[in-house]
Amino acid sequence: MRRVSVRGLLDLIHIIEWDLMKLKHQTLFVAMRTTWFILQVLVFGTTISMLVRYAQGFNYYDFYLLGVFTSLIYSVSIARGYEVADEFDEGIIEYHLALPVKRSTLALGRVLGGSISSFLFTLPMFIFIMILIQPGNWLWIPVSLVAIYLFSAGVVGMAITIVLSVKSTDATDILMGVIDALLIRLSTVFYPAPILAKIMPYYYSALINPVTSLSDFLRVLFLPEYVVYTSLPPQAQLAYIVGLAVGFSYLATYIVSRKLEAGGWR
Amino acid sequence: MASSILVIASRDLKRFWSYKFWLAGQVVMNVADIVIFGLLFNNMVNRSLIPDYIKFVTPGILSLALFISSFSIGREVGVELRREVTDYLLSLPVSRLELVLGRFVGGAFRGLIYQSGFLVLAMLLVGQPSPAAWLVIAYTSILLSLAMSGLSIALSTVTRDFNLQATIRSVVYYMLFFFSNIFYPTQVVSMRFGPLAPFVAYSPLSIATTLYRWGFGYLRDVDVVSNMLLLGVWTIVLLILSSVIYLRNLTRRG
Repeated sequence: MRRVSVRGLLDLIHIIEWDLMKLKHQTLFVAMRTTWFILQVLVFGTTISMLVRYAQGFNYYDFYLLGVFTSLIYSVSIARGYEVADEFDEGIIEYHLALPVKRSTLALGRVLGGSISSFLFTLPMFIFIMILIQPGNWLWIPVSLVAIYLFSAGVVGMAITIVLSVKSTDATDILMGVIDALLIRLSTVFYPAPILAKIMPYYYSALINPVTSLSDFLRVLFLPEYVVYTSLPPQAQLAYIVGLAVGFSYLATYIVSRKLEAGGWR
Repeated sequence: MASSILVIASRDLKRFWSYKFWLAGQVVMNVADIVIFGLLFNNMVNRSLIPDYIKFVTPGILSLALFISSFSIGREVGVELRREVTDYLLSLPVSRLELVLGRFVGGAFRGLIYQSGFLVLAMLLVGQPSPAAWLVIAYTSILLSLAMSGLSIALSTVTRDFNLQATIRSVVYYMLFFFSNIFYPTQVVSMRFGPLAPFVAYSPLSIATTLYRWGFGYLRDVDVVSNMLLLGVWTIVLLILSSVIYLRNLTRRG
């Protein structure tokens, strides 16, 4: 029994490594992505902030910084879905299914590997945001990193679940496009919760949106005076992020273990 | 010559429809920019700078929609280069100039067709253009779509590495997008960019957005002729440069 567990753990590590190795070959890509994120924050962020006049003592730029980082970790994590779609197209998923590895281990390995990759990918951008924000309490940094990682695991799990359920490049394209367009815009990434509350359907959509939970949770940690502009109490936001990670990791594991068969990609 | 160019362009246009799902996603994103981002941001902007953000941003979204759809051809040209489909294209019974112009026109058609729905939306949200203004809008759309299609094609042939191609396109895309007046007005551009403000105000996307804002009646005091001439100069320069780069890279090995 013990030998089986060790073998399972080794398999899991190998699958995680497989995702991480892909990141290693993308050094230039990461460098360029970091550059244009910095450009976005320094050019678009500072300029759009000059337009905003919302409330006394409200600095839109600080508010925007943590929101835009949330949208970045979301986009990088959801992009794993496109990679899985490419792998299906190229027959790599079939190769993975043929490996002498338990399907649950394979699914968990992909979720963990994809989320660790996404997390490492965005780490330089996180450091840049922290330099700009200059947090009052450095102890919140490890807490925020855990929340960011859990959020990433949830989004990667969601992307894998969607792609492997629909098994179609076209359907993946449209679903991911629509989800991407709506989740970022119907969240507190760019606007405070009281602004969203002026249009109730938008506000309720934002409340159940995981992107809102992470961006508001990061704001509560690093900009505690902005708690009045957030949607839910921090405990609820954190619970939502943990639920997202556990729920979608389980769902991805279920789909790979019980539903997924080779072939049939459209 | 014109028929060869049209044949090449129609091939690219047909392929555009095979991306209907990608297109649907783009439409959702652009509409969401107006009905979600615009509507909510309208409650936060300084009214002395922008009295109505939806009316302000809608012509900007017209530029953005045209830009994104014209730029989409670059990805396919990049894939062709990697898979050596370019050898097949070079063997077609058309001259190289016809091939290059056909590709540019194909990209421009995509932009114009994609943008047409947003023109109707702009009419509903911003205002009804006069017949003369429609001519200016048509001129702006044709030139901008040609310039962006050419630029995207040229950039995609700089390297055969797919990731690098995508990254170069994205960097240029974001540079043009951030350093433009799509989301912010001239006063803010002047405050933020100081001596560099004229470079932002006279980038191709900014000129097109200014002309659209004038065309739909959001702006009144615009030097339309100068802006049109400048957009013409931009388009000619970008098309010449793009042709040279694309022609050179079409026949380059390795």
